[in-house]
Amino acid sequence: MPLDDDDNPSLAPSEINLMTAAPSHGGSAAAASAADEQMTAEELLEDEGGSAAQDFRAFATALQHRKNQFRKEPGVSAQTIRRGEKDFESHGTRAQADALEQSRAAMRDVLSYVRVHTVPSGPGASSGKVGGNPVRGWYFPGWWEGFEEVEEEEEAVVVKGEDGEKKEKKPYGWIRERVVVLEGSSTASQALGRAVTGQAKDRPARGKDWLLPEEALYLVERGSLDLWWPFKPLEEIFPPDGTVDAQDPGEEEETEVDEYEFGIPLSLQAAYALLIGDDGERGKISLQKFQVYSNLKRCGYNVLRAPPLPKPPAQSPSSPASRQTLWQWLTSRLASPPQHPPYGPLVRPGLYRSYVPIYRQMALISRHSPSSSTSTPSFQIHFHVWKSAQKWTKLRHPPPDFRLAVLDAQQTFVPSLREIGALLDSSPADRGNPQWAGHPGRMYARLKHGSRNVLLAVVDHGVINYMRFAEGSGFVEEPLYGRFDAAVAKGGVAPKKGGGRNNGRGGVVRGGKGKGRGRGRGR
Amino acid sequence: MAAASAPPAAERLVRISRIAGRYLVFDIDDVVYIRRCHGVCAVLTGTMPQNPTQNLFLGLPVELQAEEAKLLVDMGVAYVADELADHLARLSDPAFEPARRTYREHLRQLRKTAQQAFEEEKARVAALHADKRGGKKNKESKKKQPAGVEAASAEPESSAAASGPAAQAETPSLFDDDVPPPPPPQPQKQKPSILPGVTPSTSFPLTATPPSPASSAPADSIPASVAPSYALLTYLNSRGYYTTPGLRFGGRLSVYPGDPFRYHAHYLANGYGWDEPVPMLDVVTSGRLGTAVKKGFLFGAERPKAAAEEGEEGGKDKGENVRVFCVEWAGM
Repeated sequence: MPLDDDDNPSLAPSEINLMTAAPSHGGSAAAASAADEQMTAEELLEDEGGSAAQDFRAFATALQHRKNQFRKEPGVSAQTIRRGEKDFESHGTRAQADALEQSRAAMRDVLSYVRVHTVPSGPGASSGKVGGNPVRGWYFPGWWEGFEEVEEEEEAVVVKGEDGEKKEKKPYGWIRERVVVLEGSSTASQALGRAVTGQAKDRPARGKDWLLPEEALYLVERGSLDLWWPFKPLEEIFPPDGTVDAQDPGEEEETEVDEYEFGIPLSLQAAYALLIGDDGERGKISLQKFQVYSNLKRCGYNVLRAPPLPKPPAQSPSSPASRQTLWQWLTSRLASPPQHPPYGPLVRPGLYRSYVPIYRQMALISRHSPSSSTSTPSFQIHFHVWKSAQKWTKLRHPPPDFRLAVLDAQQTFVPSLREIGALLDSSPADRGNPQWAGHPGRMYARLKHGSRNVLLAVVDHGVINYMRFAEGSGFVEEPLYGRFDAAVAKGGVAPKKGGGRNNGRGGVVRGGKGKGRGRGRGR
Repeated sequence: MAAASAPPAAERLVRISRIAGRYLVFDIDDVVYIRRCHGVCAVLTGTMPQNPTQNLFLGLPVELQAEEAKLLVDMGVAYVADELADHLARLSDPAFEPARRTYREHLRQLRKTAQQAFEEEKARVAALHADKRGGKKNKESKKKQPAGVEAASAEPESSAAASGPAAQAETPSLFDDDVPPPPPPQPQKQKPSILPGVTPSTSFPLTATPPSPASSAPADSIPASVAPSYALLTYLNSRGYYTTPGLRFGGRLSVYPGDPFRYHAHYLANGYGWDEPVPMLDVVTSGRLGTAVKKGFLFGAERPKAAAEEGEEGGKDKGENVRVFCVEWAGM
């Protein structure tokens, strides 16, 4: 299921986005969405069970898991795995018992796989055989504890305004939270980790990539990272003057006795123990957030931690003002209602040649205008999510496609208006795909997208559900009454360019100039 | 099959890792055991290393609900370990040097086995290629190979509970007699080449000790806030039902008549307090929702201890005091 159904390819013939079709979430719909669509709604509901689809037998066969627990067969796509058939209840037959037993055995087989890292640079090593690009990481939780990260966000905005993209600032790095240092680099470090620049030359491990807890754990879990617990301080493992080569894994492991002198490899269990923590604990991440993170990563999204909320003042109020378009100006004119006398008819008597002035007089209730308040919300945006794209890198990327907050299903109540408002306020205005603007066919896409929106990932013990809260001020900005005039105009005059659905914009102008022909008969 | 794994299971004590207030199980044998013998399947949450870009099949660890953890502890088949404190102590405290040594030894063993497996695989592939080049023989070997696969995949089942990695890695050679035996190349290759690194799922020998009062958290440290649905869970579990978190269907629990591998859920369930007023609207919404997904809405509560004086002895059979109701939308 794509996170954003606005981008549903079937609705947007102009730009078919392959990316949205592929990633999916939940336990269920990883298979091609095309296949999903063919299913009846009932099947789908049943299947939402996710566990319904967990037929490990199929998976095991697909993996051709054979011979031993170290073997890994890459490149099995989810499409190749058929959904398992399930029964309503036990009917006591041996066939059923056997099928169940096979499923269990297959699960055991598949899950008893041991993560193996072939040595990347060994002479004659079987590198590439197991695939991936294994790296070693060291757990140094205290290294960046005292690090003060300069808030670069605000400056970035200013700088961009002045001299364009010339002097690009890096996104917030969460340096204090980084606890695992990578030895060497891998393909994974293109999207994960961060090297801390501006360090003194004699600083050990200079230029090395440091991982956030979720990144490290995700890599360990997918078998791409060999996480080690150090026995020696960082200075000895990564000597400052670049003599890191002395630590060259090849040399180190030649003598087996020496091998564990610097530390020992950690198990997955240990990695969880060290990297999962309570909310807000430095150098850790809560289990729910990690589950959402890895779920999204598995889907192929790019995920980064959202930067902390900007310090109170300025910034946001100025940006909407400066970016006011003609459209916004018009709607703001629409929004300022005419003064009403305390009594008398709502619509002043007079001669009206179009619907627009009438409707404008009837707009009594002032509309909600999205603000960006600075109060610290009780819900926070935790992750920024991007659809996977070729040019995305961890340092240079466009504004996120989605902003996402993680909630626990059992401990959270439905957010109150104030809470959700504050959450929305902490995210900048985002009107969705710019191609939608003013496009008549995309009105409902615009309405659904809202002027800005936030995704909530609700986690119930490992089961994740994504919801979107959109701020719907769009309804005010999409007045329908412009159509009435247009319909009238169409009746008499030759249809204008843009036709009937020139929502309000055309209507206002036409109404003002009195071009509308006569008093229409409705539509 | 079930009989084969039952005996070792009987004395098995499952280690439940408590990490930041969450309950996880990392050992695949534990997972299989609680699933088979105690009807707790919980949720697999981890990325599957064999195929890390899909969400359909997930791997270890398994996350238990607090209720499930409590249930297992109360049944006496599991203990809860505070994983962070335990690991920190065992990784850095000099007193645990012997434990670390055994852990390293275990790792080395694993790595050797892995190496051996790779060599075997290589030899097998090489043999296959040689056969192919040999011409007509290839048909024969192709036929043999699937047979070997089946045999190998069947093998772990029978020796599942007891077999360590070494045993599993060796089994294939029993079946593939026609493949040139891999052992000869090993002695030469093993020393010069580098052993692959290994990340095991559990810190097994390092934290293997059975629960000592110090390292394992007492059972009642599991929060009592789980009470209402805990009683319901115990009741359902004692009657052979399996449960998973109910988020997918809109209840607290989804209830299956057997292992979810095989069966569809029959109910979505909510637990309430005995005297807790249940809003009619809840019943209607959940009832309708349940019917819409072809399930019944089940709700129940436990009669408080004072009212039912059977008391402590009924601990195993807590279902005694639980009343449940099932609502289905009549659609008249």
